[in-house]
Amino acid sequence: MAQVYFEDVTVGAAIPDLVKGPMSTAHIMRWSAAMENWHRIHYDWRYATAHDKLPDVVVNGSWKQHVMIQLLADWAGEGGWPWKLRFQFRGMNLPGETLTAWGRVKAKEARGRFGVVELEIGLRNEKGEEGTPGNATVVLPRRDGPPVPYPFDPRVLDQAAVS
Amino acid sequence: MALDYITAEVKALIGVESARLEATHPVEASEVRRFFQATMDPAPRYWDAARAGRGRYGALVAPLGFPVHAFRRPPERADPLDAMGEADFDGRERTLRAGLPAVPVPLPRLLNGGYEYEFFRHARVGERIFRKSRYRDIYQRDGKSGAMVFLVIEDVYTNEAGEPLLKSVNTMILR
Repeated sequence: MAQVYFEDVTVGAAIPDLVKGPMSTAHIMRWSAAMENWHRIHYDWRYATAHDKLPDVVVNGSWKQHVMIQLLADWAGEGGWPWKLRFQFRGMNLPGETLTAWGRVKAKEARGRFGVVELEIGLRNEKGEEGTPGNATVVLPRRDGPPVPYPFDPRVLDQAAVS
Repeated sequence: MALDYITAEVKALIGVESARLEATHPVEASEVRRFFQATMDPAPRYWDAARAGRGRYGALVAPLGFPVHAFRRPPERADPLDAMGEADFDGRERTLRAGLPAVPVPLPRLLNGGYEYEFFRHARVGERIFRKSRYRDIYQRDGKSGAMVFLVIEDVYTNEAGEPLLKSVNTMILR
């Protein structure tokens, strides 16, 4: 993906979606096993439905959060930085769903030699139901400026632009 | 009126901090691989050593959220699956963070309410990860379905040099 620059960003515009799925029980099992997460609602259908009264086993919130992080890291590119991310697990997602991580620019501000972009983000299923609403802050390079320094130190945003 | 679960004993946990504890083992390439394959995130910085070495990371790195899952069960800790024969056991341990005492609230269901993250750098493959945790707040809300107790946990993750990797604020919900 080509580097996105602060000047390319328009308030109200969407960033590229990140689509995962359709999610299967195998996807859920693969993540649970990799993370050694033994919460029964992710693999024990009888427990999930009979004991916890859920419609099915559910996609791990811990998995969903990394999809949101990936959305931002992909968009920021190696010249930018996905600085902050906040979200709530509001709704469950089930096997069979296709999940789309999305973002929309709420505001942008030039700070020092860089640009700071505020985004509304979420993870919705194919019916358009939003289950993980949140917002994020991404730091982008400016077209005539340097890449965002790595490791990221927020103090770079307070340093004056070099003329 | 629901029962008040925020007893003096629970209230005393607000502000309690853990020691700075080390993850179970250094970041392993195989664990990173299983992570990025399970999240279907094919970025070369996780697997293409030559390219990662030339880029801004200088070496293979783990996905940004990887440290959150690096605190695996150490060999000396009891096997949580020993309790799977109990019909009501949900598979989760109630010690939410190593080094923080469990919160004595007798509500059966544990839900993850969400996270706030602030990222500074990736953990590198081979690096040691450390975490310091703190109960920022513990409070109760009474809804239609009964009482819910919110546990707000701050975590600061660093590498062995003390360089910050990420900070998080996680809200866990007991109901």
